[in-house]
Amino acid sequence: MNHQQESERDELRARFTGWLEVTLYRAKLNYLKKQERERNTLYVGMLPEELLVEENLEQKWVHRLTEQKGFDFEQEKLEKAFQYLTQQRQQILTLLFVEEKTPEEIAGQLGCSKQNVYKQRSQALAALRNMLEKGGEGNE
Amino acid sequence: MSKEEFHNVLTGAVTGCHEDVEQILELYMPLIDKHSYVNGRLDEDLKQYLMIHIALQIGKFPI
Repeated sequence: MNHQQESERDELRARFTGWLEVTLYRAKLNYLKKQERERNTLYVGMLPEELLVEENLEQKWVHRLTEQKGFDFEQEKLEKAFQYLTQQRQQILTLLFVEEKTPEEIAGQLGCSKQNVYKQRSQALAALRNMLEKGGEGNE
Repeated sequence: MSKEEFHNVLTGAVTGCHEDVEQILELYMPLIDKHSYVNGRLDEDLKQYLMIHIALQIGKFPI
């Protein structure tokens, strides 16, 4: 009887170890699949700002990813246009989109009102958009 | 750990005793470590995930 009990407990341990092996294996697979899915997901926050104000966002983004030449060109154009902005507007855009600070924080840092930050931001983006559109027309 | 002790700890873990779950995790740490390697590197996040997964799933083991 005692021998039979011991054998049962051994069997229990073996059964648990087997169950745990399978559970761990499946959990690992799920984890790796989840990681892979997240790696392939493109979040809106990762897109360049100038793309968000344009129409046909998805088409243009795919186009830029596939057409390497066009992508570089656009980046260069954007960089040039950015240089034409005033120092303050450049600073505000950098703080907003690179350092990801809130308008309140920027207003405190620059010693101006929150409304001024919003105003400068929208004017700077409009100016950038305008310069990019003009540049596009000039090259065609 | 003797067979009887293991039986008691496993029963406790399956019924939801936190200390017993901890003991089971400790006992099976080498197996968890083995499954925590990805491309030859120990993935600490995966290890954490596996430990949480075991703690959540152990109640489903049929004794």
